[in-house]
Amino acid sequence: MKRLLCSLVFCAFVMAAAYGQAPAAAPSCNMVPGWTQAGEARYYTADNLFEYMDGNSEGYFSYNFQNMHGVTCKKGDNTFVVDISDMGDSDNAYGWFSDTRDMRQPEYPVGMGGQIVPRRLIFAKGKYYLEIAAEPEGDHTPDLKLWAAALAKSVEGSTTPPAAFSWFPKEKQQSLKLAPESVLGLRLLKRGYVAQYDYGKAFVVFEDTPDSAAAVMQKLRERFTDNTAAKLGDEAFQTTDKYLGRLCFIRKGQYIAGYSITVDGMDPAALSAALAAKIR
Amino acid sequence: MNNAPSRRNFLAAGLALPVAASATHSTGSGQSQSSPPARPSSGAALQYKTLGKTGMKVTTVGMGCMVTSDPTVVTRAADMGINYFDSSRNYQGGQNERMVGTALGAKRKNIFLASKCDRNDGASILAELDTSLKELGTDYLDVWHLHGKSNPAQISDDMVAAQQKAKQQGKVRFIGVSCHQNLPAIVDRVIEAKLDVVQAQYSFAQDATWTPAVEKLAQAGIGVIAMKVMARAGGRGGAAQPKRPANFGASALRWVIKNPSVATTVPSMTDIDQLEENFTAMSGQFGDADAKILSARLEEIRPYYCRTCGQCDGQCPKGLPVPEMVRYVMYADGYGQFPLGRENFQRMAQEHQDVRCGDCAECAVQCPHGVHVAQQLSRAQELFA
Repeated sequence: MKRLLCSLVFCAFVMAAAYGQAPAAAPSCNMVPGWTQAGEARYYTADNLFEYMDGNSEGYFSYNFQNMHGVTCKKGDNTFVVDISDMGDSDNAYGWFSDTRDMRQPEYPVGMGGQIVPRRLIFAKGKYYLEIAAEPEGDHTPDLKLWAAALAKSVEGSTTPPAAFSWFPKEKQQSLKLAPESVLGLRLLKRGYVAQYDYGKAFVVFEDTPDSAAAVMQKLRERFTDNTAAKLGDEAFQTTDKYLGRLCFIRKGQYIAGYSITVDGMDPAALSAALAAKIR
Repeated sequence: MNNAPSRRNFLAAGLALPVAASATHSTGSGQSQSSPPARPSSGAALQYKTLGKTGMKVTTVGMGCMVTSDPTVVTRAADMGINYFDSSRNYQGGQNERMVGTALGAKRKNIFLASKCDRNDGASILAELDTSLKELGTDYLDVWHLHGKSNPAQISDDMVAAQQKAKQQGKVRFIGVSCHQNLPAIVDRVIEAKLDVVQAQYSFAQDATWTPAVEKLAQAGIGVIAMKVMARAGGRGGAAQPKRPANFGASALRWVIKNPSVATTVPSMTDIDQLEENFTAMSGQFGDADAKILSARLEEIRPYYCRTCGQCDGQCPKGLPVPEMVRYVMYADGYGQFPLGRENFQRMAQEHQDVRCGDCAECAVQCPHGVHVAQQLSRAQELFA
């Protein structure tokens, strides 16, 4: 019997490998003692996640959602809805975590970054975004911590946040997230990180090559026609906009960094230069 | 397999934050607003309709804030004169309402603000409402929906009573329900429950099945708000479909706006460019060119696009779950995800896995919208059985 079981597991592994897939990261209720499964396991892809969570699925899609394995677990009167989403890579997994965490609440040290509030656990590890929602009302923190440890063990991947997160100043930081598209609300700034401070909004946009970044800079100049060149990075300029306030764009290789909505008394060029200097 | 209602409940539950203090009750002038305030326009003409019996004069293009990338897009939309903004307690993991509230700031008094609740009992949704008000930085909502209801039983007396209670308390002005699937099934219940508005998925691809339902709602004085107006075609979650043409969005939007039964639309707007495109579409008339674009698009997506009308449910004399099997084929042929298609196929009851459509002289299942059902079912058996 044991040999048969081993063979089956091996076959499943070989089949997954044959199709170029890692074995699925699927939660199981017996990861934490005392919990039992309620109902069938769930599996969703980008094609049918909509059926599970309606419009809220759009947020997942923005971060390169691939698929989700889920299960509902019960212990006494408590019910946990446990889901593991494959976001394709660690940047997107952490990006989705950064978008859904509540910056007013403390982080919880799990995976690349996590958060536990009384009825919710979220964290990112490797390419996975893991989440639990708890019922009924009350503080489920002790159980959520046990689950956080068990789930973290069950998936492989990095426990270090993407390097770009370390480029932004920590002091007075109100939020820091990956904008999966349209940074600053501008479609031509396709993807990047945005940090909010009480004195302005910092951003770093990724382009594929220095040439494509230079092309974006040119389009920015055409959009913000009243601009002044600055001698920073590979190229830079400052401008003002009704909604984006005083702002500065600096290109450094394939990156475009800067500050917008900079309050009086703060120099967007100096802030942007300091930010660009951190980019490695 | 589908635990969607549970998921919504739990998502909302997990997002609930302690409300430090009850939302202050306002009986100020904002709540009696029924006509649009004057505000600057970007040049294109603003178009308004009345949202059913609510009396709210809403711009025919509203703003779906669900995936908006930056608060300045919301602020700019309000400045341009768009006056209907839609959020939900659970969008962006619970962070969307706060972003919208911050972006609107003092402009909130000049616009109509809608949000939604996700839980499934009266007491819980009232608690959610308090959280929504706190996060949005307001003391009332203009419209408050039960989120994602697709059958009458989901619109329970308990929850409707809670909505009415919130209305009496002045925390919401009007109550409604949002519906992503099977709108015709809930129309009578919406009327019976005396809801004020319905926000429904509605697009050019659903004309035949959902337009009569939309008209019936409007005739009953229920305001209709259209969402998903682009038919989810070629965008997120629809990767198997052909990519939509660049000029498609405005045509799709104008198709919905031209329906007198629809008061406003809430297309998701990611960025300023999209906002400006949709704003321009608002003032344009639906014309032959638009019809041509949509007709071509409909043909492109016809074999793929399931309109979730439910008309094929139960049609197969051998009991095959038709829409699901069509989807499994799409996994394999559309996405190159053969194992996924097979995995789902093999979860079907054995008696269904054993059916061979070639044994039937002709297929009893006819998709009214042209999805190639018989061909797709045979393909599923060929691939996975």
